[in-house]
Amino acid sequence: MLELVDLSKKFKQNNAVKNVNMFIEKGEIVGLLGPNGAGKSTAISMLSSLVIPTKGDVRFNNKSVIKHPEPLRRVIGMVPQEIALYEDLTAEENLKFFGRIYKLKGNALKKKIDEVLDQIGLTDRRKDIVKTFSGGMKRRLNIGVAMLHDPEIMIMDEPTVGIDPQSRNYILETVKRLNHEKQMTVLYTSHYMEEVEFLCDRIYIMDQGNLIASGTKDEIKRILSAEKAILIKSNRWNDTFITSLKQDPTVNRVIVEEKEITIMVPKEINMFSSLIRIAEDAGIELNSVDIKTPTLEDVFLHLTGRALRD
Amino acid sequence: MIGQIVKKQLLILLRNPVQILLLVGLPIILIAILSMALGGTMSGEAPKINLKIAFLEHGDEEEQIDRFVSDIEQSALPDEATEAIRSNTSQVAPIRILKDHIFGSDDLEAMIEFHVVEPGEREQILNDSSYTAVVEVPENFTYEALGSMVLGGAAPALQISVNDEQQLGSHIVTQILESFQEQLTLGTFLGKKGMDEAVLQVEETFGEVSIIAQKNPITTQGYYTVGMAVMNVLFIASTLGSIAFMEKKTHVFDRMILGNISRWTYFIGVFVSSSLFGFIHLLIVYGFSWIVFGVKWPDLVAFFLVTMAYAIAIGGITVLLTAISYRINSEVITNFFSAIVVTFMAVLGGSFFPIGDSSAVIRMLGNLTPNGAGMSSYLTILRGDGISEISHHLLFMFLFALLSITIAAISFPKRRAS
Repeated sequence: MLELVDLSKKFKQNNAVKNVNMFIEKGEIVGLLGPNGAGKSTAISMLSSLVIPTKGDVRFNNKSVIKHPEPLRRVIGMVPQEIALYEDLTAEENLKFFGRIYKLKGNALKKKIDEVLDQIGLTDRRKDIVKTFSGGMKRRLNIGVAMLHDPEIMIMDEPTVGIDPQSRNYILETVKRLNHEKQMTVLYTSHYMEEVEFLCDRIYIMDQGNLIASGTKDEIKRILSAEKAILIKSNRWNDTFITSLKQDPTVNRVIVEEKEITIMVPKEINMFSSLIRIAEDAGIELNSVDIKTPTLEDVFLHLTGRALRD
Repeated sequence: MIGQIVKKQLLILLRNPVQILLLVGLPIILIAILSMALGGTMSGEAPKINLKIAFLEHGDEEEQIDRFVSDIEQSALPDEATEAIRSNTSQVAPIRILKDHIFGSDDLEAMIEFHVVEPGEREQILNDSSYTAVVEVPENFTYEALGSMVLGGAAPALQISVNDEQQLGSHIVTQILESFQEQLTLGTFLGKKGMDEAVLQVEETFGEVSIIAQKNPITTQGYYTVGMAVMNVLFIASTLGSIAFMEKKTHVFDRMILGNISRWTYFIGVFVSSSLFGFIHLLIVYGFSWIVFGVKWPDLVAFFLVTMAYAIAIGGITVLLTAISYRINSEVITNFFSAIVVTFMAVLGGSFFPIGDSSAVIRMLGNLTPNGAGMSSYLTILRGDGISEISHHLLFMFLFALLSITIAAISFPKRRAS
């Protein structure tokens, strides 16, 4: 349905996106993961026909979006990372203005506004000026505007940044519902791993402009199927302990945080006894030892060597 | 869609009381403050000119002319020369010209109260402070003036006593008489060359001078209403330019593009909004000034034409600011315009004081700013002139708008961001 073919974008000396290939099928929710600066927003700007790529093509139903953006624009709904609203207008006035952009008018527009306000839970606040809204309400209206023309494809660029958990859950449930009830195709970018795990059927992972992994959630997690993560906690660490861990031939990687260390080891290795011995030799008192199954966060860590929100 | 863009811009403006206060309230406050503070400094605020002139002749002009002609006839000059002098002299009566065609002209009649007095009243008149000036014609003035013209020698001078308490009026009378003396001297010079007919055009020259004096005076309130209105409406351009850039920054503009709205529709929407709001802004300020300060427009058609031309120029500036800020992806140009350029244009255009009075070059530069051209047009209308006198300013404002729109259209990003 929608494809990115060898897509690249260069801003002066900065290669923001490098030879990205991606596809989205009708009715699926696809996640695009990556830390800040990974190139996600540039990729979706090219995908939505707002930015012309330096190289490559975007194809919608096998036709070039670069040459003919109109067919895609008619069916696309865009939720930018920013609050793309007029904060001095009311929720209803915003919806009316953007509805007119999509050629809606009269009763059809009124009916659609009522429906959207109901879907995003802002019917009671329809006459209120947007700048009086909480961050979560603004985010919901930001999504509502993109829903006005019943888009087939919804592109959501980090739509839950900086909002309270309640609004976040509301938004995630809304996206799920739209996908389920209207078969809406969704491309969802985020650096919240749990959102992507909750929503998406398939996932693409980007880092430094490159697409570094793709597949279903299980396929992605299987990247780490040969490893397991041992999570240990203590009030303090010392250099002897960390050096000993890193020098242990059975340990693949050690990720040190303030009161927590993650040790990646081959799945078949049982290093419990050796871990206790290393801790005793280094004078470290362990508070807990936990063996975890890999999460997408672990996969990301494995692929990039850094956490998603770094 | 353009209508929706205009409606949206209007709603945004109306929801910002501080912005409204700055755009509309500020000029009104400034008009009041500047009018009160600088009321005495404006030429237009000068009291209505009323000159009371006493005219005292020590001799009979007709008798002097006859005597001069008789003396010429008895001289040794050839008959042809005598005849030529006699026929021309009968037409040159300097005192009659001064009384009937200068002080008594239709153009000066409204401002001059002219009294011919007898020599016996001289002391009494000189002690009467109601008189602006006493003009005295010496005993043989006309005889000597004719002699000077025909035979050479120094031209005689009129005597003038002015009232120091009426400085402006005294100055005007002195100026009129100095001009008269200059014309008389010119006549003397030309007379030596054979009494050219140009001598007889003295009265026409004075006629032209008097027309200027009859224009409507411009009050301080009138001047500063125009000055503040043309200055503050420039902020409409920066305000709407800022809103437009905010639309780009927050991706609202992207939403419009994704809605298949042509960027030219948006461009025209910004232009129409700005021109319309500029027009309304000017009407509000002028309307308020009319109600509160009594600033009335003698020619409403000309007034609306200037307001429309200037509002279109404001629209041009707005799209230019918008296009440049979209091009460089920064609001710095709009901020620079509102913080620096507006003040500079206001000073050059004469919003704070009539800067052009001191230099023709500065006046010309001022008129090369849209606000300066607008201001000159408004002041010309206030003085009582019509459309023909402001046509060049109107043309300039339309051309300025056209140039701004053209540059903006060239600068405005036409393709998707690349």
